[in-house]
Amino acid sequence: MEKKRTNFGEFIKGFIRVNPLLVLMVGLCSALAISTRVESCIFMGLAVIFVLTCSNVIISLIRKLIPDQIRIPIYIVVIASFVTIVDLTLKTMPAIYERLGVWIPLIVVNCIILARAEGYASDARVSHAFMDGLGIGLGYTCVLLIMSVFRELFGTGEIVMFNTTIVSLGSKSMPTILILFPGAFITFAMLLALLQWHQQRKKPEAKEGPE
Amino acid sequence: MNEAWRFFLLFFGAAIVANILLIRFIALCPFFGVSNSLETSLGMSISVIFVMVMATSVSWVAWNYVLEPLGVGEFLYIPTFILIIASLVQFVEMVIKKTSPPLYRAMGIYLPLITTNCAVLAAATESVKPGFFTKLNIPYNYGFLESVVYTLGVAVGFSLVLIIFAALRERLDMAPVPKFFRGVPIAFVAAALFSLAFMGFAGMFGL
Repeated sequence: MEKKRTNFGEFIKGFIRVNPLLVLMVGLCSALAISTRVESCIFMGLAVIFVLTCSNVIISLIRKLIPDQIRIPIYIVVIASFVTIVDLTLKTMPAIYERLGVWIPLIVVNCIILARAEGYASDARVSHAFMDGLGIGLGYTCVLLIMSVFRELFGTGEIVMFNTTIVSLGSKSMPTILILFPGAFITFAMLLALLQWHQQRKKPEAKEGPE
Repeated sequence: MNEAWRFFLLFFGAAIVANILLIRFIALCPFFGVSNSLETSLGMSISVIFVMVMATSVSWVAWNYVLEPLGVGEFLYIPTFILIIASLVQFVEMVIKKTSPPLYRAMGIYLPLITTNCAVLAAATESVKPGFFTKLNIPYNYGFLESVVYTLGVAVGFSLVLIIFAALRERLDMAPVPKFFRGVPIAFVAAALFSLAFMGFAGMFGL
């Protein structure tokens, strides 16, 4: 059953099959907290893609040099250096930096990145590790964008990016709860239920099994 | 009296009003990963309270006496704090293994997991490094004691919600829910209602 690893296959799997948020259920905290605005999602997604890809490549490059006992501290130091780069870069944009706040340093302990470093990059070719980082990062960003578009559009009635309104639904009264904290949980629950519904419909024989 | 009130506000605000799990969404992975049973979440809570308070105390000393005087805080705070947390967790693990093997067995797997618990890093960063956005009306420029009290509040709030939610989920397993919502999705819906309930605390004591 073991499929041969190809660059494209490693890239594409991050979207649905091993999507970090929907399937692996890691890195939820940042996804739920950030997804109130599309604009911050884009920056968070870029930051995660950058850190994930770079740390995957570096760890894959030095994987034969790392002693097994101290691999986690080494991974964390590698990841922390890239997060510091992101931290200092985003500091030049105060408006974004203030909104992302504590989430930038928290990328260090984002489970997605450590899980990919430990579970994938530590025994994969450099090119595969690069594609894996890119794919998983984009899969994360996609879910983030879906959630934030939904929450911002229906929570506030418009999508504002870089101080310009992109889409507006007019001045109807909107269910503000979507943009508040419970809205994040509900939106994510709906996404998960949708995925489960899709999977159960695809293989109807699973329905016959014991409940 | 005034001082005691201030500490109480710090504690209460961190634990309930700005609850780290339900209002601020930090550390959700252990929240959904560990809350399957009451027993495991108790073990996790105790270890988190302990490690969090230790981590903040050491980070505070490191920031105020090492990083800041040397002027390298901005560049080095992330690696420093995470290394402090990782080594503390390792240290605590060794001490517990030596002194109390039953306790070590009880919380064995949860100890190393705490290194990657975002809440520990978040609490340390927020209470130690000045200039982070706050939802409480108390300015962030904490002294040592204030940092510890704030962190204790965060940790207690985390444990409280984790334990309540674990109790709730044990019942949820038996509840008749639609097929597509079975398992994790219904847990998220429950968390949404739970979070809605906690929003009712907003504004208490002017926080």
